[in-house]
Amino acid sequence: MAFLEIKNVSKLFGEMAAVKDFNLDVEKGELVTFLGPSGCGKTTTLRMVAGFEEPNPGKIILDGEDITNRPPNKRDVGMVFQAYALFPNMTVAQNIGFGLKVRKTPEATIKQRTEEMLALIHLEQKGSSYPHQLSGGQQQRVALARALAIHPRVLLLDEPLSALDAKIRVSLRAEIRAIQQKLGTTAIYVTHDQEEALSISDRIVVMYDGRMEQVGTPFEIYNFPSTAFVASFVGTLNTTDAEVIDPKAHSLRLEGQQIQAAEGLGGKRAGEKVRIAIRPERFNFASEERKDNVLDCTIENITFLGSIVRVQVALGSQKFFMDTFNNPFLELPAIGSKTQITCSREAVLVLTH
Amino acid sequence: MKRFPLFSWVWFILGLMYFFVPLISTMEFSLRMLKGRYTFEAYRVAFQDPRFYTSFGYSLLWAIITMVCSLLLVVPTAYWVQLRLPKLRPYVEFVTLMPFVVPAVVLIFGLIRIYGRPPLVLTTTPAALIVGYIVLSLPYMYRSVDSGLRAVDIRTLTEAAQSLGANWLTIIRDVILPNLRVALLSGMFLTFAIVMGEFTFASLLSWPAFGPYIEEIGSMRAYTPQAVSVMSFAVTWLSIAGIQWLGRGGAGQVQTAGAR
Amino acid sequence: MDRDNLVAPQSTPTESTNGDAPLARPHRRGFSWTWLGVAPFFLFAILFLFLPSVSIFVRSFESLGGGFTLQNFADIFNKSDIRNAYAMSLKVSAITALGGAFFGFLLAYAVILGGLPRWARTFLLSFSGVASNFAGVPLAFAFVATMGNNGLVTRIIERLLNFDIHAAGFSIYNFWGLSIVYMYFQFPLMVLIMAPALDGLRREWREACENLGGTGYHYWRYVALPILLPTLLGTAILLFGNAFGAYATAYAFTGSFLNLVTIVIGAQIQGDVLYNPGLGNAMAFGMIIIMSVIMLVYARLQRLAARWVR
Repeated sequence: MAFLEIKNVSKLFGEMAAVKDFNLDVEKGELVTFLGPSGCGKTTTLRMVAGFEEPNPGKIILDGEDITNRPPNKRDVGMVFQAYALFPNMTVAQNIGFGLKVRKTPEATIKQRTEEMLALIHLEQKGSSYPHQLSGGQQQRVALARALAIHPRVLLLDEPLSALDAKIRVSLRAEIRAIQQKLGTTAIYVTHDQEEALSISDRIVVMYDGRMEQVGTPFEIYNFPSTAFVASFVGTLNTTDAEVIDPKAHSLRLEGQQIQAAEGLGGKRAGEKVRIAIRPERFNFASEERKDNVLDCTIENITFLGSIVRVQVALGSQKFFMDTFNNPFLELPAIGSKTQITCSREAVLVLTH
Repeated sequence: MKRFPLFSWVWFILGLMYFFVPLISTMEFSLRMLKGRYTFEAYRVAFQDPRFYTSFGYSLLWAIITMVCSLLLVVPTAYWVQLRLPKLRPYVEFVTLMPFVVPAVVLIFGLIRIYGRPPLVLTTTPAALIVGYIVLSLPYMYRSVDSGLRAVDIRTLTEAAQSLGANWLTIIRDVILPNLRVALLSGMFLTFAIVMGEFTFASLLSWPAFGPYIEEIGSMRAYTPQAVSVMSFAVTWLSIAGIQWLGRGGAGQVQTAGAR
Repeated sequence: MDRDNLVAPQSTPTESTNGDAPLARPHRRGFSWTWLGVAPFFLFAILFLFLPSVSIFVRSFESLGGGFTLQNFADIFNKSDIRNAYAMSLKVSAITALGGAFFGFLLAYAVILGGLPRWARTFLLSFSGVASNFAGVPLAFAFVATMGNNGLVTRIIERLLNFDIHAAGFSIYNFWGLSIVYMYFQFPLMVLIMAPALDGLRREWREACENLGGTGYHYWRYVALPILLPTLLGTAILLFGNAFGAYATAYAFTGSFLNLVTIVIGAQIQGDVLYNPGLGNAMAFGMIIIMSVIMLVYARLQRLAARWVR
């Protein structure tokens, strides 16, 4: 039995179903991310685990206990809010110690734990400062410490980095992950930023329109997306329609040219239209190396992005992006010229729905 | 937590009762002029008194003059403070607090002393009264215009207009005033309500305004004063409703003023 | 946010190398225009607010004969009439401030956080806007119609409970009656100011508190009330000042009968028997002092409140 089980959870707001049949088992010490666009139900699901919303229907079982009907202040879960939610009338130390104070922990213990937490988030000197005297990143770290001070069984983070600058986001997400791993706390992280999700999670749940689209490790989600939505939401992706030539040989017709996939055409008939996707970085110039598929195309645009060079090509009426590593000695063909690009069979993903 | 909020409902109903009972009582009282049945006799008597019309008319006239003067004083000041002289803001806000620190009764004392004798006699003209009204309405006019200006970031708009080549007249006419329309109207409605209901200045400076008129018939008659009170309440209510209707969708502001 | 003055594009090199802040040396043309714009306002304030106040201050030291004296101030404390007037004014102001604050807060709480339907809130706030402006003479007569000898409430109580409140000693023409009337514009004011403040209590604070194990009690004791306290106190003080400076309502009730500071000063203006301008000025000045202290405390509390609730 998993540490945290979210079973058949749905949530209705009036007529609208915000969450539809969500099922997940979370192991102890795992960091699972709910990833998706606004309105996909990820925050609602998180709030149901926290106890601020009631599932209708569904069950939430934590460490063997059914906590579905327990009020939020009796669940022993720690929550970090998007807007920090630090109590403005209390100092940093008082904020961190609040959960313990409410549990009537002795003063000495509170003091010691607070100092531990301050050291954990590297803000030892800021104990007697007030929230409005701190920067956004510092405030969020205090919010994290406050949630962790009570040794929660599960740590819930609701888009904690959305309100911060890009640079801070990158460093703080690494810090959050490091702390989570160090303490071994089970955590659920909600975000719409796929880079964030990919970089810190043990597993990702991609959500859309209240439903779970796919559950898997970052590697799985990125390289083997199972639906069109997941494929397009995570990373850049070329998608297009192709016609099946021979399902057994996994050959397809794309803009008059033949292209081979490795799998995914089982159950399809010849002549049927399917949607395929190929990651830009799986393409390369055929002049560099030849793989299973070779396609004729015309160069439309070349964008220099630093370490990556993004080449936009036209295959008949379809436009594709090809990402290749920057190479000072790379001779790029001129815009408008014809060239050949190549990719392996496995790179061609057949998308279901 | 879906318990029925009994506590809240109790307080709400009590509050409503406290608000409405006096209004209903006044209404009821005003209808009892003739013994035994409810009639509008008190209202008829009120409307037949020529001084009702003269005092209302005077107050109306003075209200309009106050509105105009107040606007002329406040709008340029608020604008320049926002745009060019932000350092003056604390001083301006201090001035808008003064009417609270120096209540009507006190101010009149000083006004009469300085402007009630030669060489500078103002108290024999309504000017002193208008001055008092302007003082009363100043804080609210300023706050209304100021927050209106802030809400539309008048500084950026002015700079945009200047960069497009507009001269000052165009800027005032096409950029500033249209965006201030709601704030100006709110301020004007409030000034109107203040002046119509004002008593202290008018009474102590002996001018036949609407406020002293009500007080006078109050000490002489019964029932009719209540009828006039009902009408006065209606005027206040319409003015405030006007302000709230204008301000719909915006952040609410606390506007209180007038006779106490 | 205060921004610096626009630096005129044609500023000479000497101006910028001098390191003067732009405000210190505004461009010539902008200078006169701008000051002209705000001059009328300040001129008005000086002529009709400051000068009269100064006059009051100066003349409060004037004796009946025209010389300098501190007797007027002594009189305030010594003459029992005047002492009582101040006492009465302060009492009425304190009672209605506390009462208005208490009931107003509870009402605001009921409609904002108390679980009542949305229309209750809109209704209460609109009505409070009107009620807080319905003061002065019409209000006095309204209460005569309510609780006076022939008032509706008086009659209802008589008919239902067979109890004549006036025979039992109740009168609206005294301290308690006046307080009840003042409350009519006091607690709407409280509602109007507290409602946005209660709105400003972010939902996440409550949730964070619950999440950390706190109950409603913990939330109010450690988070909500401390945050609201400056606004609460500030508004109570505002209510105090509001009542202290009130004149019309009390006058409409009883003419110059009620012994309040504002009434006494008003009587001085109208020229009563004991006409003593120096004393009147001293009393007026006393009022200014009291109101100034109130404003200072209020401003301080405002700043405190603004600091926390960003």
